[in-house]
Amino acid sequence: MFYLNSFENQKRMSTQDLLLRIAEQVAQGETQFTIAAQGQHDLGGPLWNKDGTKLQFWISNPGQRVGAMALSNTEIVVQGSAPADVGWLNAGGEITVLGDCGDTAGHSAAEGKIYIAGRAGTRSGSLMKKDPTADDPELWIYKSTGSFSFEFMLGGKAVICGMDVDQRQSVLGDRPCIGMVGGTVYVRGKIPELTPEVCVKALNADDESFLRQGLPQFLAKINQISALDELSKFSLWQKIVPNQSYTPVTRRSLQDFRLESWISGGIFQDVFPDKFASNGLVARGIYRLRVPIWRNNLGAAPKEKDKRVNSCRDCRICAVNCPEAAISREVQNEQVVYTSNAELCIGCGICVGVCPEGIWVLEDNFELKSMDG
Amino acid sequence: METVTTQDITVNDLDFIIHYNPDICIMCGSCVAQCSFNAIEVAPQVRKHEPTQEGAKQGHKKKILFVIRQKTDLAHACVGCGMCVKVCPNQALSIEANPESRKNLLARTQGVIKRGGRASSYSLRTLDKIMVGRISQMTDPALDSERHTFDLRAPLGRILKAQDLPLKVDGQSLSLEKNCPPVRWIYPLLFSDMSIGAISTRAWEAIALACAYLNEECHLPVRMCSGEGGMPLKLLKSEQLKYMLLQIGSGHFGWNRIIKSLPLMRTDPAGIIIKIGQGAKPGDGGLLPKKKVAPHIQAIRGVPETALHSPPTHQGLYSIEESVQKMHLSLNAAFGFRVPVVIKCAASLTSVAVYNNLLRDPYHISGGFFLDGLQGGTGAACEISLEHTGHPIVSKLRDCYLTSVAQGLQGQIPLWVGGGVGLTGQAAADCFKLICLGANGVFVGKILLQLLGCVGDEHGRCNQCNTGKCPTGICTQDPRLIKRLDIDRGAEAIVNYVLTFDSELKKLLAPIGNSSLPVGRSDALITSDYAVAQKLGIAYAC
Repeated sequence: MFYLNSFENQKRMSTQDLLLRIAEQVAQGETQFTIAAQGQHDLGGPLWNKDGTKLQFWISNPGQRVGAMALSNTEIVVQGSAPADVGWLNAGGEITVLGDCGDTAGHSAAEGKIYIAGRAGTRSGSLMKKDPTADDPELWIYKSTGSFSFEFMLGGKAVICGMDVDQRQSVLGDRPCIGMVGGTVYVRGKIPELTPEVCVKALNADDESFLRQGLPQFLAKINQISALDELSKFSLWQKIVPNQSYTPVTRRSLQDFRLESWISGGIFQDVFPDKFASNGLVARGIYRLRVPIWRNNLGAAPKEKDKRVNSCRDCRICAVNCPEAAISREVQNEQVVYTSNAELCIGCGICVGVCPEGIWVLEDNFELKSMDG
Repeated sequence: METVTTQDITVNDLDFIIHYNPDICIMCGSCVAQCSFNAIEVAPQVRKHEPTQEGAKQGHKKKILFVIRQKTDLAHACVGCGMCVKVCPNQALSIEANPESRKNLLARTQGVIKRGGRASSYSLRTLDKIMVGRISQMTDPALDSERHTFDLRAPLGRILKAQDLPLKVDGQSLSLEKNCPPVRWIYPLLFSDMSIGAISTRAWEAIALACAYLNEECHLPVRMCSGEGGMPLKLLKSEQLKYMLLQIGSGHFGWNRIIKSLPLMRTDPAGIIIKIGQGAKPGDGGLLPKKKVAPHIQAIRGVPETALHSPPTHQGLYSIEESVQKMHLSLNAAFGFRVPVVIKCAASLTSVAVYNNLLRDPYHISGGFFLDGLQGGTGAACEISLEHTGHPIVSKLRDCYLTSVAQGLQGQIPLWVGGGVGLTGQAAADCFKLICLGANGVFVGKILLQLLGCVGDEHGRCNQCNTGKCPTGICTQDPRLIKRLDIDRGAEAIVNYVLTFDSELKKLLAPIGNSSLPVGRSDALITSDYAVAQKLGIAYAC
């Protein structure tokens, strides 16, 4: 057993000196440490015995990040409370805090176990992970967490027992489990409204078995074994898991919304009825912008510089060039008559442009008075 | 050959030149059929003919081709809308802006030029010289824009200081001792006032539809302003009225019908907006050309078929004090003091005086000051006003905000600003920067039309909103053209844009660590323009 008081002769060891002393002892084969700390950080990890023997730490008054990056075969017990980042990036250590923890306890823990006898602060359990080649990380908390707990959680198991908590308050603080996409949070006590990405479920047999197995161990570690009966009432527990059936809210199409929830028939129905069908840029019939008119011998002025009488010479060039084959030629009373079929014609005016006699003229189409007629 | 004289107007005098490739044109007629400006036509073109041996015997030296040709008279000059390019199956057409155009000069020989759109002469955008330069990294925590929750709501209505709230203790709770000025907390992007008549029934309804959809399907409390062209009766009598701000302009169009609908309203509107001026054409009133005063517009506005000019100012107002008294009080009273009444002015050198007066209003009946900058759009204005009057929004907003700060009155009368917001397509960045400079929210109009399909821009493309010939069916009352606008697709584009706006706004909020709107957080902004830094009181960086 290596015992170290980090505050001697009115002088506090720096974090660096303390960590180097511990590393030196580990290298020499020491496996048991009792550290009376004075707020030095990063105690407990990452350290390893070259023979694979377990390293054990008993720490009082630590600074931040106790057990941060701890490896397996590291066991840490904190006598009393610990500030922020307990077990941050835990890579396999077993960390017990016999008091409360500061913010982000268990943040990004990927393996190992963290046992907390009191409360854990804001953002505890955030970004907890699951390494497919290792056991799930576990975070056990006797009382409650601060807000934004288990934010962006990716995997692992968290257990919040909700003991000694004002029953009117959330045991997970406000806005827990935002962006949680993996893992399980077992919780006993009041929980606030959750984001739709996660859901609350009752425990199944596997869950109960996990808790039945883990609780005695946890409670023994934090000296609260008498609470086992109370905590074994599994009907009082729930679990929060990612909502597998969650799909980002599907919205109705605008058309469905208009037909189902918008003012029936449209807001201008009383003065300008509209069925909301739409046309392409090129339209036919009453929707054409312009219409060609065949004006044979109708008093149209002779073309400039061409003194011939303005009459159709039946050359058919209009009909041949019409892209929509809308022009038909008929003989009525021994007279040739050309007509443009409104249902086919798009009003392009090619007939007007190609006619050598200027018989076809293009006029604005004022046929349409309302949206549909 | 016809004689061409130097004074004849030909293609190279016009703003846009249409390039045409007859080799790939199949003469389908689509381009000419759809041109709402009647700017192109089919015409014969005489070509030199390289005779074959057989043909040479017959002596043919010329041949005639039929081609698509651009008209050259000013009345039918191509406006560059590009619909012909869109519709051509073979890409046989392209349009080029002509830097040597003389149209700007020549058209003035035919009278005052009117057009719509935004000013193009003022191309400087202060907002583009400003960056979000304060990024929370080691100093304080940034947020995750996609996973954290944000409260993006802005006030509309008079905010009282806590000690002025008429609260009394009522047993275990607080209750109001007397009426408290109404405040609505709404989305900081407001669909601005474009009147029925200026835009088509379908375009107006598409915006209203998008607004309702954003509220009911996306839970964003977006509001829309009616514009000064009255309100559809069916909307006045519907629950969806709660999304609408009703505007009263100097022409007072449609207000008799709004007043007559009061007993029939099932809910209160979101607000009332008194329009004093418009950023695009300050000092000039609304203008609706006769061509657009179709029968249904006559019915909605309650007017005869004639060109509709709103007077440049409200004829009954002679001073700021009177404006507060008459307009604010009367409109507050008409809606039982339950609906915020706000005022909208064009940004001007005198804006601070107006804002100061509102801030000192002892009756607490002024619920917001809307400032409209010179890059705002319009459906019709004299080009001279559009291009040469107005005031940029950024410094004027800053002046107003800092005036209120100096008196400890900031935040009491919400400042909403617009005029060119989203001009570069990135409305969220504009909105964020303006909010950091002191705005509570922004309003947009032109980009909504552009989302519906409008192709007008600041480089002279189209902008024929005043002619009633809008090729996209947006700024017209011609049913043939309105029919081109797909209301659902148009509304969907607006909805999707606003959802992107929402994500992008958060993307800017997150790095500065704000989960609510950063009103007045000018410490987040930097500029590499020293004069801008000095004027706005933001950090200079280089």
